[in-house]
Amino acid sequence: MHTRGASLAAGLTAGVLLLAACSGGADDGGDAAPEAGSDEPITLEFQSLSDQPAAIDATESIVSAWNADNPDVQVEIVPAGWDGIYDKLITQFNGGAAPDIIHYEAASIVPFARDGYLADLSELMSDEFVADVPEGVLETVTVDDQVIAYPTELQTYMVFANRGLLEAAGVEVPTGDTMTWDELQEIAAATTAEGRYGMGWGLKSPTATFMAMAPEFGGRFFEGTGADAELVVDEGELAIPGIVAEMKAAGTVDPVSLTQSGSEVLAAFYAGQVAMTVQGSFQAANIATDAPGGFDWVVLPPLEGPEGAGQAANPQTLSVNIDSEHVEESAEFLEFFTQAENLAALNQADALIPATTSAQELMAQNLSGQPGWDVILSSGQYLTDAPYLFVDAYAQWKDTVATPAFQRFIAGETDSAGLAAELQAGWDEITA
Amino acid sequence: MRALVRPAQYLALAAYIAFLGFPLLWLVSASLKSSAELNSLTVSLIPQDVRWDNFGQALERQGLVRSASNSLVVALVSTALVVLLALPAAYALARFRGALRALGTGWILVSQVFPVILVILPLFLILRTVGLTDSLLGLTLVHTTYTLPFALWMLQGYVAAIPTDLEEAGAMDGANRASVLRRIVFPLLMPGVVATAMFSFVSSWNEFFFALVLLQSPENYTLPITLKMFIGGEGKVALGPLAAGSVLAAIPSIVFFSIMQKRLTGGLLSGAVKG
Repeated sequence: MHTRGASLAAGLTAGVLLLAACSGGADDGGDAAPEAGSDEPITLEFQSLSDQPAAIDATESIVSAWNADNPDVQVEIVPAGWDGIYDKLITQFNGGAAPDIIHYEAASIVPFARDGYLADLSELMSDEFVADVPEGVLETVTVDDQVIAYPTELQTYMVFANRGLLEAAGVEVPTGDTMTWDELQEIAAATTAEGRYGMGWGLKSPTATFMAMAPEFGGRFFEGTGADAELVVDEGELAIPGIVAEMKAAGTVDPVSLTQSGSEVLAAFYAGQVAMTVQGSFQAANIATDAPGGFDWVVLPPLEGPEGAGQAANPQTLSVNIDSEHVEESAEFLEFFTQAENLAALNQADALIPATTSAQELMAQNLSGQPGWDVILSSGQYLTDAPYLFVDAYAQWKDTVATPAFQRFIAGETDSAGLAAELQAGWDEITA
Repeated sequence: MRALVRPAQYLALAAYIAFLGFPLLWLVSASLKSSAELNSLTVSLIPQDVRWDNFGQALERQGLVRSASNSLVVALVSTALVVLLALPAAYALARFRGALRALGTGWILVSQVFPVILVILPLFLILRTVGLTDSLLGLTLVHTTYTLPFALWMLQGYVAAIPTDLEEAGAMDGANRASVLRRIVFPLLMPGVVATAMFSFVSSWNEFFFALVLLQSPENYTLPITLKMFIGGEGKVALGPLAAGSVLAAIPSIVFFSIMQKRLTGGLLSGAVKG
């Protein structure tokens, strides 16, 4: 009796497993490389994180053009999402199942390079491409003297303004190459009125903004690289948090916005509750789409501090798996992918700034007449290196120390000295 | 006064249902709004301008229907496997005393302790060795293994609640062991089986991390992976299409629950035995 029952259960289980087996697309991918002497084309797996429909189309279009011209080296797009991609890549690399070409960002790809998972592209990258990329941007993808990725797309932090509110407050809309932080604070003060703030600034996760804009005041936050890096918190690093605190004390920045994400602040911007807002440059596309009819907005010139208008670059990247059997072919594809017209099309679709000067110029031509883009693209020239990209413990320090410390500072729970001490103590604890 | 009691009860019930259903209503509302309305300060459950194109975008993008089909297959098969495996094991754990029982329950508890991130790499390597990465079969087995301990724990409680007196009474009346199980225990256990099946189905339907890491090919992606792809880098979210996709994704779950809930009846044992 028991045997019969067990047999029945075993039979059912086997049946269900068979059903599952039939339903699974159990193609394990495997190695796409053809056998030696085979006429079959090489297939390169390209794990793409393009998420916007237009960017997906642009990527597919570039790959289709390559595949048409290169019947022996075919590229297959493997779409993936940004969410959880770090864990996926760790497993893929450790399990020997990573794709040939990997789309990611400099801030996150550097640890993989340090662990030896990415091919050195120094010898494979063309001189023309190297000359076309601003030096600071190229430095963000250079690890231990090895170029580990092609930089492709960038963003800068820009000030978007409601032209009508500025003019109504008697403010002349700045039009120069850059704009000082003092000017920003003056405009914020002038446009603050009953029921309206001059500035809305989404600083729910403030660390990325403060790290990116710190170079304008000479702030670098880190000296050295890898495990030997040292945290530096001085006047340059504390300058922008200090400006936020000043504006909050003066009542010129919406205190609610300081607890929101950048996107959440846009609703108040559209409603005229804030006259200006600091946003990632890509928001220009969303504002153009989502702002109510007749909303007259403008992008103000890049902000400039005493040390210039430099912002730390964290480009999206395309790297090659060091274990790929086709590193050279992958690099050839990336050379094609990063040609000016391709990068311009991709960045236009993503509303980002191309990493190469030629693509920036081409995109400026393509978008001439569209509000804001001339200023946004001009900000690309100020992008500079980002020391934090090469610090081993940065991610942990950012999440567990810096972000909560900056949030407490913005909330007024601590002063500049307290913030500096908290940042340093947390760093010491992590790196002890 | 008494005449008011019944309407008040219905009113309270309606309010409770509205409370429970509000997130779903809000999701449906968001799926029908334009991007401009979603990004405005106007907060309204009723869309100002009903937009169906979010559904079109959701369906066009990333193979949502194919992913839903994959999720359904994985969830149904892993649910069937979990119930089939957990049912006899739960009966054994609940009814038979001894060292094995203590070992079994201990194993169940210990298996719940390890975070997923800790097991994913060895799991990936094992599945790769047997050729089951990037496979719905592999994912089904992982979901089954992951859900089984808790399902076993759940079912064991239901089995333990069935008085052994009933089984003994059946035996006294001449039923053999199989008949007792089939005619007495299993019908009484049905609510527990249904609850366990629901738990297993939902666990598998919503599972993200294993699917993210194990599945490589877009044609194998499950629904949570596809829906996550509506959330892009730089904080960009296609909110309308994401809401529309989520509404569509909820439909199979709602259908499954509406079928199963009829069988989720408790109180079958009331008055089964004296005292």
